[in-house]
Amino acid sequence: MFLLRLALRNLTRHKRRTLITGLIIAIAIFIYILTEGLMLGITELSFRNIINLESGHLQVMEQAYWEEREKMELDNLLSPEAELVDEIKNLPGFANMTKQLKFAANLNNGIDELPVSGIGIDLESFTNVFSLEKHLVSGKMPAPGKFQAVLGTKLAELMDLAVGDYIVLLVRTEEETFNTIDAEITGLYNSPHPTLNESTVYVPIEIAQNSLNVGNKFSHYVIRLTDRSYTAAARSALQAEITSNHAVYSWRDLSESVMTMAQTQSVETQVILAIILVIAAVGIVNTIILSALERMEELGMMKAMGMKKWEIIVSFMVEAAGIGIIGGIIGIAAGIIGIGIFNLSGGISLAAMGAEDLNYGLPIKGSIYAGWSNRSAIFVFVYGLVVSVLASYLPARWAARKDPVKSIYHR
Amino acid sequence: MKKLSIYLILFVLLVGISSQVMAITADEIINRRDKNEFVVSAYSEAKMIITNSGRKLVKEMRSWQEEGMALAEFTNPRDRGTKFLKRDDNLWMFFPEAEDVVKISGHMLEQGMMGSDFSYEDMLESDDLTDLYQFKLLGEEEVKGRTAYKLEGIKVPGKDVAYYRRIIWVDKDRFIGLKEELYAESGRLLKVAETLEVKEIEGRWYPVRSIMNNKLKKNTSTEFVLQKINFNPDLPEDIFSLERLR
Repeated sequence: MFLLRLALRNLTRHKRRTLITGLIIAIAIFIYILTEGLMLGITELSFRNIINLESGHLQVMEQAYWEEREKMELDNLLSPEAELVDEIKNLPGFANMTKQLKFAANLNNGIDELPVSGIGIDLESFTNVFSLEKHLVSGKMPAPGKFQAVLGTKLAELMDLAVGDYIVLLVRTEEETFNTIDAEITGLYNSPHPTLNESTVYVPIEIAQNSLNVGNKFSHYVIRLTDRSYTAAARSALQAEITSNHAVYSWRDLSESVMTMAQTQSVETQVILAIILVIAAVGIVNTIILSALERMEELGMMKAMGMKKWEIIVSFMVEAAGIGIIGGIIGIAAGIIGIGIFNLSGGISLAAMGAEDLNYGLPIKGSIYAGWSNRSAIFVFVYGLVVSVLASYLPARWAARKDPVKSIYHR
Repeated sequence: MKKLSIYLILFVLLVGISSQVMAITADEIINRRDKNEFVVSAYSEAKMIITNSGRKLVKEMRSWQEEGMALAEFTNPRDRGTKFLKRDDNLWMFFPEAEDVVKISGHMLEQGMMGSDFSYEDMLESDDLTDLYQFKLLGEEEVKGRTAYKLEGIKVPGKDVAYYRRIIWVDKDRFIGLKEELYAESGRLLKVAETLEVKEIEGRWYPVRSIMNNKLKKNTSTEFVLQKINFNPDLPEDIFSLERLR
């Protein structure tokens, strides 16, 4: 208790110095919270866009299809199964479901040809699962069974197409024979998912199935749950029910690239934090050495009166911990205020940064808001504290080892 | 018994001969055309004139071929050193700048070769068209001043082929393909190939100038001009090996 009181007294002796050293830690924590918040914001936005526009919460497909899904081949398709549909509908948190048929196509406007992803959609259930319709900037969704299509504004711009124009999608049937889908563009969308805007064409599923000669087969079911938190439970419940060849995948499996990117970025943020905290550690070493030099006589006297070496070390370390706590509190408070101001002022607009049209491979567009995670805040606070305490150990030991007599007469 | 079998053989022979005299079938026309255009082994020099929306690109190449194998090397300054090796159903490409050999497969096969209207897949097409298509003789028509058989081929169900339907005009006397239209399953015309010039080389009629039009794109065509061809030349040993491609 005495040591604690001593350390606290020492902290308040040089308020300005304590504050400045604490501020270095605070700045490190503030930067970390802001960077991490931005990363969280980007990841959260990416996940939302993936769920709302690309993957839904869960997908059911043939296992073999999943492995080769990038190729969008017409092998390993699903056939409608009433039993499976019933099982899906009884899942915890089930909201809606739809089916899709993905295929590779070449989009042709009579002058140029561009490889695109085609998706056959069941128009009756599609809008219950995906929010694409909300992002239509002109026209409307195709009508079921009609040779109609919607595509992204970016793709339309590139191919010089508008609502009412006709496109030719050159596709290969199951037997690798060329076929064409001649469709009228009924709508253009500008979604917050750049990849969709650049390279995806939606047509009614009946048209796709017919043109690809696959009968009533499709590539996968997409399931929407009432809330994201049901994903794991629903997935394991369904996995337990379905047959051997089928498999259930969650939006997390489908957003591998985002997950990898988020992980890489989190490593980057940690590196930044580590660098700033090393600088803070130097500040702490400096502060402890300075206070030790100032208190040489005191230290000498206390040792002469019987204070042990470890007690001196602990008193300095507690002092450093105090600096760490002050820095941590200021840093986190500043972080909360910073994120608040950032989000209230409308986040960062990618357009303002001149990055509206750039595709980073992340499904984001529009404005990025910063996120907050209690776990990261606790982590960075503890990290700052540990760095402060560790940084104080060596100078504290140096001070504690001084000879009491020499210390008293050190001048 | 012996007598019976002799009669049988005679009968079969007679039927065979008489049907040939009477009328030629669609499959025979296709096979005769393929036989005529099929080269056992050859060395050739050719150029490709690619026209795309008014822009003209000329690519020159020399090639060696022997049965199912072929090696083509581009000689025009821009593409000098780029090589293609075809071994039966496989195709490799060598880029001199990257010093790398790439196998062309999957969706890459649909792309136009060196930006032309001939896709890599067109180059790999098997010669046994009569196995893949059900041919029907539609009649005779005049094409570029020559009488030609007009044939229609529809894909045999279950066969993996790129074009669902083909209309082929074959020169009635020389059995050279004069024109070919390639259709998608939807009925849309995808490509038209035409023979512009035929020459008699080493005693056989051979197309020396032809043009391919991609009908899905406006104003694009690729003209193929054969400048020199030697049939049955002495080919260097292991010329069609992957090692030689580098």
